[in-house]
Amino acid sequence: MIPQMQTQTKTETNIKLPLAFILFGLVSFALAQSLLWMNTSALSNGIFRMPDLWMAAHFLLLGWAVMVVMGAMYQLVPVAFLTPIWNEKFGFLQFFVTAIGVAGLSIALSVRPGVAIFAGVLTVIGILMFLFQIAMTLLKQEKVNVMTWFVGSALVFFLLTIVAGLTLTWNLAFGTIRNYDAFFKSHLIFGLTGWFTLLIFGFSYKMVPMFSLSHGFSMKWAKPALGSYVSGLIVLVVAVWIGTWPFTIIGWGLLWLGFTGYALDMKEIIKKRIKKKLDQPFIFSLIAIGFGWLLHTTALLMNVLQVTNATVWSWLVYLYIMIWIIFSIMGYLYKIVPFLWWTHKYSGSVGKKEVPTLKAMTQEKWGTILFTTMTFGVIGLAVTAMIGLPVLTFTSQGILTIASALYVISIARVLTR
Amino acid sequence: MEMTKQVEEALYQVIDPELGINIVDLGLVYQINVNETNDVHVQMTLTTPGCPLHDSIVSGAEAMIYGIDEVNDVHVELVWHPAWSPEKMSSRAKEMLM
Repeated sequence: MIPQMQTQTKTETNIKLPLAFILFGLVSFALAQSLLWMNTSALSNGIFRMPDLWMAAHFLLLGWAVMVVMGAMYQLVPVAFLTPIWNEKFGFLQFFVTAIGVAGLSIALSVRPGVAIFAGVLTVIGILMFLFQIAMTLLKQEKVNVMTWFVGSALVFFLLTIVAGLTLTWNLAFGTIRNYDAFFKSHLIFGLTGWFTLLIFGFSYKMVPMFSLSHGFSMKWAKPALGSYVSGLIVLVVAVWIGTWPFTIIGWGLLWLGFTGYALDMKEIIKKRIKKKLDQPFIFSLIAIGFGWLLHTTALLMNVLQVTNATVWSWLVYLYIMIWIIFSIMGYLYKIVPFLWWTHKYSGSVGKKEVPTLKAMTQEKWGTILFTTMTFGVIGLAVTAMIGLPVLTFTSQGILTIASALYVISIARVLTR
Repeated sequence: MEMTKQVEEALYQVIDPELGINIVDLGLVYQINVNETNDVHVQMTLTTPGCPLHDSIVSGAEAMIYGIDEVNDVHVELVWHPAWSPEKMSSRAKEMLM
């Protein structure tokens, strides 16, 4: 006897919602890399603050990274926090508002920076809607854990990022803001080290044990890591505003301690794994943790040695975005998208007919080649630009652009299975 | 074959799509009870409380059990105590993860 069974229960989100964000993100990623390729000469000369690169940076960070993270959160929050999304219809509305805002803002920054404020306001409304949605969802969580604190802190820094960002676009339109540089640096600290890093920390504590089937690990550094990292962020922003050198060292020192604590926990989780042969794209996310730690160490050493060269710091920020934040997201996305599509297409068929494994949904070898190529592309780009080899810089960004486009295609192909 | 055994056999067909191993060998099935009217009650767990495959595995287990002739009602109960541990896996599952 086979009665009608419940196949969609509380922990599943309508696939169209996360997928809409992720697809928008993938297109933005290919677009951002193409824009960077077209502007390699500016990159080679260490010029980062120009309209076309603002457009590329915002397609990369807002269009790709933020939109993908939002999509991933719509899928991960219900399963990781065991609570359904507060309002899915509100989520779709939030997607349209944010997508129009982000695309408008990125394009306006290049075409007409003076009107970027209007698209910026729309982006802020979209992000505020997202923050409200997730806050309402987390408030329903019965048992708060350390992951909630990481994600909650990340959301607070996300809010601060858009406040600082909006102030910057206000300045582009009306030019009345003093301390532009301090606002710009605060925007970077809040966004890159606050929002993205704390979010990756939080979800790693769930995803790394899950994908490695780890058991019996302690997570003993989680709370100290959170405390140290958040304190570091606050001290660093204070340093930006009052411009006193020792504060910068203390700030980076605290960030380094926080990152090291997180990395030690991840190391223990991997050491205690039961699944000995890890999936290649997941290994890529783990390698990104190593890159992240090296970048924090480099930043701390540069402070100790009082390296103030703006070009060197700009490339460090670029590497931070690419080989820590974006590589982490790319690795996890190779697991998240197959899961989303598998749930949509095969979840109801389990026990009724043969269904593929999640691993069979992707071409793992293809992913490994792309990830390796991208690593060489990014590092090649930064090194050749810093030592002044423009032809090799152009070639490296070309490799990176093609590999990014192929990555987008390989993820999109999952949706045909 | 005894109904409890049939249910267990059916659950061997429910594969965790992330690990590619069936839920019995993974040690996820704690208890199978069949009453006199052939109502089946299965108590099982998952490797982690936040497992995103929660719904798929539970509905898959239900579907497999309903596929057995003479089964009346099926209830798959998900429990978190006792928590799953690697010791609950069969040696076959452990080998597959090496």
